Amino acid sequence: MSAAAELPTKEAHILKGHEGAVLAARFNGDGNYALTCGKDRTIRLWNPHRGILIKTYKSHGREVRDVHVTSDNAKFCSCGGDRQVYYWDVSTGRVIRKFRGHDGEVNAVKFNDSSSVVVSAGFDRSLRVWDCRSHSVEPVQIIDTFLDTVMSVVLTKTEIIGGSVDGTVRTFDMRIGREMSDNLGQPVNCISISNDGNCVLAGCLDSTLRLLDRTTGELLQVYRGHISKSFKTDCCLTNSDAHVIGGSEDGLVFFWDLVDAKVVSKFRAHDLVVTSVSYHPKEDCMLTSSVDGTVRVWKK
Amino acid sequence: MGSDEEDFVFHGTPIEREEEIASRKKKAVAGASGNLRTLPAWKQEVTDEEGRRRFHGAFTGGYSAGYYNTVGSKEGWAPQSFTSSRQNRAGARKQSISDFLDEDEKADMEGKSLSASSQFDTFGFTAAEHSRKHAEKEQHERPSAIPGPVPDELVAPVSESIGVKLLLKMGWRRGHSIKEVRASSDARREARKAFLAFYTDENTKETPDSLVSETEVETSLGEDIKISESTPVYVLNPKQDLHGLGYDPFKHAPEFREKKRSRMSANKEVGFRKPLSMKESLFGPKSGKIAPGFGIGALEELDVEDEDVYAGYDFDQTYVIEDEQPARQSNDNRLRLTSKEHDVLPGFGAAKNSDYSMERFNPPIIPKDFVARHKFSGPLEAETKPTVSAPPEVPPPADNNLKLLIEGFATFVSRCGKLYEDLSREKNQSNQLFDFLREGNGHDYYARRLWEEQQKRKDQSKLTLDVKVSPTVQKMTAETRGSLLGEKPLQRSLKETDTSASSGGSFQFPTNLSDTFTKSASSQEAADAVKPFKDDPAKQERFEQFLKEKYKGGLRTTDSNRVNSMSESARAQERLDFEAAAEAIEKGKAYKEVRRATEQPLDFLAGGLQFTSGGTEQIKDTGVVDMKSSKTYPKREEFQWRPSPLLCKRFDLPDPFMGKLPPAPRARNKMDSLIFLPDTVKAASARQVSESQVPKKETSIEEPEVEVEVENVERPVDLYKAIFSDDSEDDEDQPMNGKIQEGQEKKNEAAATTLNRLIAGDFLESLGKELGFEVPMEEEIKSRSKPEDSSDKRLDRPGLKEKVEEKTSSLTLGSEEEKSRKKREKSPGKRSGGNDLSSSESSGDERRRKRYNKKDRHRNDSESDSSSDYHSRDKQGSRSRSKRRESSREKRSSHKKHSKHRRTKKSSSSRYSSDEEQKESRREKKRRRD
Repeated sequence: MSAAAELPTKEAHILKGHEGAVLAARFNGDGNYALTCGKDRTIRLWNPHRGILIKTYKSHGREVRDVHVTSDNAKFCSCGGDRQVYYWDVSTGRVIRKFRGHDGEVNAVKFNDSSSVVVSAGFDRSLRVWDCRSHSVEPVQIIDTFLDTVMSVVLTKTEIIGGSVDGTVRTFDMRIGREMSDNLGQPVNCISISNDGNCVLAGCLDSTLRLLDRTTGELLQVYRGHISKSFKTDCCLTNSDAHVIGGSEDGLVFFWDLVDAKVVSKFRAHDLVVTSVSYHPKEDCMLTSSVDGTVRVWKK
Repeated sequence: MGSDEEDFVFHGTPIEREEEIASRKKKAVAGASGNLRTLPAWKQEVTDEEGRRRFHGAFTGGYSAGYYNTVGSKEGWAPQSFTSSRQNRAGARKQSISDFLDEDEKADMEGKSLSASSQFDTFGFTAAEHSRKHAEKEQHERPSAIPGPVPDELVAPVSESIGVKLLLKMGWRRGHSIKEVRASSDARREARKAFLAFYTDENTKETPDSLVSETEVETSLGEDIKISESTPVYVLNPKQDLHGLGYDPFKHAPEFREKKRSRMSANKEVGFRKPLSMKESLFGPKSGKIAPGFGIGALEELDVEDEDVYAGYDFDQTYVIEDEQPARQSNDNRLRLTSKEHDVLPGFGAAKNSDYSMERFNPPIIPKDFVARHKFSGPLEAETKPTVSAPPEVPPPADNNLKLLIEGFATFVSRCGKLYEDLSREKNQSNQLFDFLREGNGHDYYARRLWEEQQKRKDQSKLTLDVKVSPTVQKMTAETRGSLLGEKPLQRSLKETDTSASSGGSFQFPTNLSDTFTKSASSQEAADAVKPFKDDPAKQERFEQFLKEKYKGGLRTTDSNRVNSMSESARAQERLDFEAAAEAIEKGKAYKEVRRATEQPLDFLAGGLQFTSGGTEQIKDTGVVDMKSSKTYPKREEFQWRPSPLLCKRFDLPDPFMGKLPPAPRARNKMDSLIFLPDTVKAASARQVSESQVPKKETSIEEPEVEVEVENVERPVDLYKAIFSDDSEDDEDQPMNGKIQEGQEKKNEAAATTLNRLIAGDFLESLGKELGFEVPMEEEIKSRSKPEDSSDKRLDRPGLKEKVEEKTSSLTLGSEEEKSRKKREKSPGKRSGGNDLSSSESSGDERRRKRYNKKDRHRNDSESDSSSDYHSRDKQGSRSRSKRRESSREKRSSHKKHSKHRRTKKSSSSRYSSDEEQKESRREKKRRRD
């Protein structure tokens, strides 16, 4: 199994500092740093390769559910239980802007490529697009065609893709002004896009990851074996799109072969629910976060 | 001296005032002694005993004023602080004379108040009071760390009163109650022994012994300490927790207080003090589901979302380090038990065995041969009924009239009883027709009919009686089964009754009349089966009664009024309900009949009875559905979605809707449409202003209609117009020469009316609904105001309509046309006002054509939004996209085919992929999936 050998299954560092569950761990644009956020209402900036905590950002009133860094690493955004989207300055640690408008908790945030807007996905069944360029704090656009909580959002250069508990993955194409709704029949927990941009991986709450073709909406593959029934667990693809990675509620991390959906590797990463899995943009390095309060860095 | 001081280290600030005061005192004393006598009178100062100046002169404050006397500070009178907020209302402060007095004055006042001298203060009241005051004063002087009265300071030394002295002389000691302790306890012990002597049982003998020993030990221990104690315990609730002062964590959950206290006491008695964990003290009482470690802000309230979803996990184990002592567990348990025993009232012991015991009823024993499946005992009914053997089936007599008579009579008799038969037999002895009553022609048939009728009636009554119990455990006669299955019994009688009646049958039985009122049994049964008032059995019963009466016809019996508990109005209301329900049942019957006919009889039975297998079948069914659904997923749907221009700008993309009208929002509810629609309309009308040739109103109305595919577009205006604006009808009456003026006017009008309309629309819709009107569509109004318009359209441009109809989105037009046509057909009278037709024929026609053209264009535009234009746009606009598509297909095929080949070079490979290959790969994929 040469493929399995390439996988980051060796623990390099444990990032300890969060009190209580860590809800998300994300690499920055170049993969040199990582941001984590959690139940303790803080966002922490780490150097995952050396395992040191650099900075702690405190401003959220409730748990922080997601965080995303701009491509130039100067700003980041976060969201959480306090129904707001925060737009931060990385170096000063100040909140540049707070976007209010969601009627419920905000589950996910993402910047677009040029970091000019933030798109947030909320419990209020909407995706909201916030402008970072102007001083307006009103949403640029509200997409409220979802029928239930929007759990996850992904942006491409031209599209906004949202996954919702109503079982749909909706792609909003800005070039042609169309919404494509792929109904999977199961609540969608997390979506992530393949690196070639042709497929969407959707983690569903029936303990299944589904790989969809973006152009046709066809179901290409189904990945099973892990447990994902009640928690928000993440899934992602490796940089070569060869493997699918998914966190499980029993603390395991699974690696599937993309094509034949075989479990290539699985190992115990944490004692408790793995909330988030994030893959290094270039190297074979992975971050996992868990309810047990730790973030672990995995390397080859 | 100076060097000495350098060697010392001083802590704190030296008390200087004392010396000052002392010096002043000295001065005062000196003055009193005679120093001042030497001074002239005007230089003499009057001072108080502390040396403070008594009089200050008119300009310096007058009598005894100034800093050292009554003024609070050097700067002058310290203003009283007054704060009052909405939460904290400042009450009216009571001022007493003591506020304005000096200490010496107060002392004077006190000296005047009457009190017992300590020597005769027998019970120590005055002394106690004195000591309390003293303690208070002391406390002020040296404030302790713990605010509030401190026990030590409260227990003030009381000078012994004469009574105490006497008691002490008599042998009383402090801390003991004033009575003969020893004697009483001895007496009690004696009494207990006597009591125990009554016990004769052997087995109880042992237990009392142990009991005695226990209690004796206890009492002998407690005698000195507990029983004779007379001094009250002052501090009952020492502060032991870490809460803020006055904070009561159990304020809103007092049920936990007891639990906590018992736990605390248990802990204390064991002898160790468990350090209060954070969880318990701070977050414990708030909510059990909150994640430990981080609460929310003090100003925020806990919400549902604050529940800790990860609560299943024990965080204490993971990161809260706490010294636990697992070994104590058993010890703790025992203590709980004893502490429970302490609850027993003093002088009583907990009973070892009580008379009271919960009576338990064991479940009935199921016989071994019991099978949990119901068997129908078919012939059971026959056994229970003392059946008269049924008369044989006899063909009806040839004479139609006779047959009818017999049938009617039989029904009648069965209903009214045997008595009627006898009566009529007597009465009609001479009548040939009634021969069948005697052994004459048709007697057999009559007997058979009578039996049948009786059977029917019995079944009916039985059905109404125990339809709830077991509708299926009924003996099935052909008729009942037929009625159950909803089959109509062959109405042998009824049809022929009609014929006979028309043919002039000379006799009409009163029963015939009642027959017409009486519905067939099946209807009644349906009503019974339906049970619209299931939840209220009494009401249901009344309803059944009502039904019976209804179908029986005739006057209502007074019986139905027996429910005297109901008011008149309530009864009337109920009657109405019943009528409605009965009607509904009648209506439902037809449907049911159809359904029942299609259903198998077994299914019908299964509906009434719960088969165990039914459930599993159902589950299987859902499973099948699931399987199906998983096959159908994922489903792809496409909608139109309009990104905001700013969004496109931020993404550096051209707006696909550039230059188009703002989209009509997908209105979720009325409020949304109310909020959003006016804007679009305004914009639309504003756009129209530039083209003054075109009549504004219509287009402005048209615009949102074209764009929006939702139902809320068509606003009801008719009613509104009828009420509020009558001049909008006169549009056509306007002379055509003043076009510009008209245009101007219309512009304003259009804006105003559309806005008003939209705002009023919802209101009117609801109003119309309330009034029961059919709220007319907008198109109708238009066609009414310009009835010739659409007809012209149709006449002038026959080809156009076809063209439009070819398109997919021509629905609006089609419906429009249809509506208007309908309208015209419906209300020809309303067109009488259209006399202006000829006057504005030519110009109007042209205008219309223009308008129509424009409309058509609009439609095209909107249509392009939805379908065709997109694809072309897509094709020309984004070649890269199509390329991408190709590549993805290729990629997929590569996935399927050669899994080893990773798709890092997919873009290059895609370039060479042919269509054949794609198709091939698709096919293969499908095969794989299947």
